Amino acid sequence: MTQGAALADAESAALLFTAEMYGLQLDQLAELLSGTPRQAKATVARWTGDGLADSGVLSQGPPWVWLTRRGLQACGLPYAASSPALGRLGHIRAVAAARLALQSVPGYRNGSAHWRSERRLRARIGSQRAARDHLPDAEVHWPDVPASGVSPDWAGECWAIEVELTPKTVTRTIAIMRELLARTGDYGCPAAEARVTGLPPRHLRAIYLCSPAATGTVLRAREALGSLSARIEVRALPPSAYLPARTPA
Amino acid sequence: MTARLALRGLAIVAVALVAIGLLPVTLVAAVAVGVAWHSGWQPARLYRAAAWSLPMLAVWLAATAITRHSLAPASPQQAWLALSRGRYLAAAVLIAPIAVPAGLLAGGLAWSFRLASMTAQAAGRSPAAAVSFDDRQWRHQVRAAKALIAAPGAVPLLTARGDFAAGAVIRTAGHPAGRLTVLPASRLRSHQIVIGGTGTGKSTLLLRLWAAYLATGLQRHAARLAGPPLIVVLDCKGGGDARRIADRARRILYETGARNVAIWPDEASLSLWTLPPRQLISTLVDLIEHGTGGAAYYTDVMEAVVMLAVEAPPGPPASTAEFLTRLDSGWLSLAYAAGGYDEQLALARSAARQVPDIALRFRTLFRRLGPGLDGPGNLGDADAWYCILEGTAEVAVAEAQARALVDVLASFVAGPASAAGQPPRQVLLAVDEFSAVARRLPIWQLYERARSLGLSVQVSAQSWHGLAARQDDRYRLAATAEGGIWLLGTPHPDPVTALAGQRAALSTSRQLAGRLRWTRHGSSQLRDVPVADPNRVRALEPGQAAYIHHGGVTFTQVKRLVAGPAALATAPRDGQPAAPPEPALPDSAAPDTMRLATGDRLPDVAGLLDAAFGPAPGSPP
Repeated sequence: MTQGAALADAESAALLFTAEMYGLQLDQLAELLSGTPRQAKATVARWTGDGLADSGVLSQGPPWVWLTRRGLQACGLPYAASSPALGRLGHIRAVAAARLALQSVPGYRNGSAHWRSERRLRARIGSQRAARDHLPDAEVHWPDVPASGVSPDWAGECWAIEVELTPKTVTRTIAIMRELLARTGDYGCPAAEARVTGLPPRHLRAIYLCSPAATGTVLRAREALGSLSARIEVRALPPSAYLPARTPA
Repeated sequence: MTARLALRGLAIVAVALVAIGLLPVTLVAAVAVGVAWHSGWQPARLYRAAAWSLPMLAVWLAATAITRHSLAPASPQQAWLALSRGRYLAAAVLIAPIAVPAGLLAGGLAWSFRLASMTAQAAGRSPAAAVSFDDRQWRHQVRAAKALIAAPGAVPLLTARGDFAAGAVIRTAGHPAGRLTVLPASRLRSHQIVIGGTGTGKSTLLLRLWAAYLATGLQRHAARLAGPPLIVVLDCKGGGDARRIADRARRILYETGARNVAIWPDEASLSLWTLPPRQLISTLVDLIEHGTGGAAYYTDVMEAVVMLAVEAPPGPPASTAEFLTRLDSGWLSLAYAAGGYDEQLALARSAARQVPDIALRFRTLFRRLGPGLDGPGNLGDADAWYCILEGTAEVAVAEAQARALVDVLASFVAGPASAAGQPPRQVLLAVDEFSAVARRLPIWQLYERARSLGLSVQVSAQSWHGLAARQDDRYRLAATAEGGIWLLGTPHPDPVTALAGQRAALSTSRQLAGRLRWTRHGSSQLRDVPVADPNRVRALEPGQAAYIHHGGVTFTQVKRLVAGPAALATAPRDGQPAAPPEPALPDSAAPDTMRLATGDRLPDVAGLLDAAFGPAPGSPP
């Protein structure tokens, strides 16, 4: 493969990544492309020139980039085109940082893991029922037989990813944990199949990535789960997960 | 006599001449009466049909006025002309604008006259003709109602106005007659009673009522008129049947919009120990059955010891084990020995001899109750709780469980969430097979407190006598059921049908003229008859119900809600509870989930996560 073709491949993957994550800040795009901010800026300029993406300063720090309707069509994604919601910028950045951190680990790549974003889950459910089902921030699917041929011990599992920037109440967090761990059906399935006694759970684990402010609540909620707590993993969000204006508590 | 016969003959001839002269109207009226008889319709339906056909008449008159510059119609003559030339279709089209409304009106009047004369027992060959006519009409009405509920989409759970549709109307008395039995949604938020024996369709009706309560509750919550709905069902029968119904209820409630439906104690637990200390003391004392007279002394001692254990300086107990640990004279003396508790310390020492007996009773009680009340879990964790109490197998245990669950619910409803200014949750407490726990569950007390708590109570029993042990309590329950009483097939409906009251009806006697021959001479008088005919209730088929409310009754063919495919992998054996509950699972975690949680160890993913995000919080670096 030529260098140009590799670059085009990387940019296509970055375009899909941006679409799945609602939008990205320029520094995260640079990290995704393994390049400098200047190279990322040039990529964004190409995308905007082709009408595939739009960019703007939505928060403090680097500009944001998101896909236009044409860009989403080019990716074959049935999402409604819109700029990232201002109230969710912090959360969107944190989820993207979590994905980038996980993708950077060899074990993730060797396991051929698939990141199924909240935007994709929401699109499957539709707007009407989205308000009733709690959606994880992402699902990570581990295929039984990865492309590398070497299956990790957890091959075949599906994980729910939860990014917690601000603490909820312990009761609410417990309820969400139970809902995630008890679910048996895919998102968008008939309601009667969502939690069916006798079927194996959809999410064998829930991975909680927390800000320092939310860690205590999540740990207390996990303790209250009793034996189910073995299926909850808690880790800190990477330092790059926060908007520049935000100071981790 | 001869003159009277002659007059009657003349009248018949006159009517026949008019009928022939207005043949199209007569034909339409005859068809209308025939259809009304066949379908068991009321005359009002024919009048409505006549009214709906008036626009056709108006258009026809307007067209006549425009084309002929006159309001005098020519089409009757033209219709006769067409008829004489054998052009039947043209004749029908020409006369229809006049004949249809007039025929429907005439048919309605004739049908009304027929019904009134049969109701007054003044028509028919014999006095018994009225009875057979009424029975026949009932069968026709049932057939029409069954046909209506069989039509897909004809009976929605909620109407466009948000009212509850229970099914198709068979017959009404004192209630408006419509095609569907429609209740305002507010009626569901009032207390209701359901009475019906085994196999009468009681569960089908209850499931529909619960689904409607949830659906209307979600609508109100979405409109910010109230908090989210919560349904707590106490199935006091237990056994395999209860679990099958629980599974059906879960599937129906999921499809109605519930997110979590918890099955207690099989899959979820609640905590008795979250009750406020004062309430906890009262509940714990009431869980133990105690007598009166001399036994009252022991009750007082028990209450004092329980109070010492619950209000001890370390705070209220958080679990059964902790509470039982405290029922020890040494523990109590030590807990209150810190100073400032002289009175309690003296009490603990004076009750020291009774404490081991009290501890033994509570240990036995909690062993029989099982872990379902030992938490963790909160009623707020689910949209609906289906609580299975083994009332058939172990009455005493079911009574204690019911008492504890109702106290937990009352505490939840009046709890801090409600006091914090949030809209209160809409709560329905449905107690099925109430007779199994009626002896020790003071449901009527809850009835009286319920309105201020925003709680609706629905009690169902197999019979009138199953509602409560004493007649006074039964009538007290029935009198406060503002939401109405649903009566299904039951052998002793008279006390309930009497609540619907009586209405005046004509009764006519006929003179016997010979063997099985009656003249048309006699007399009529007004007499009171029950609004809800108890014999009709006794003969109700499965799926039929009489809804009694506000001095009226509506006989209904209840529409069954169809749930998704069965969710239970294995059915428990009859009469035996399922496997012991896994604590801390208020929603429907699967058995495989339990296995994963308790048995098999999941592969360790710490290495991967550590590489991506660093070590877990609190773990050594």
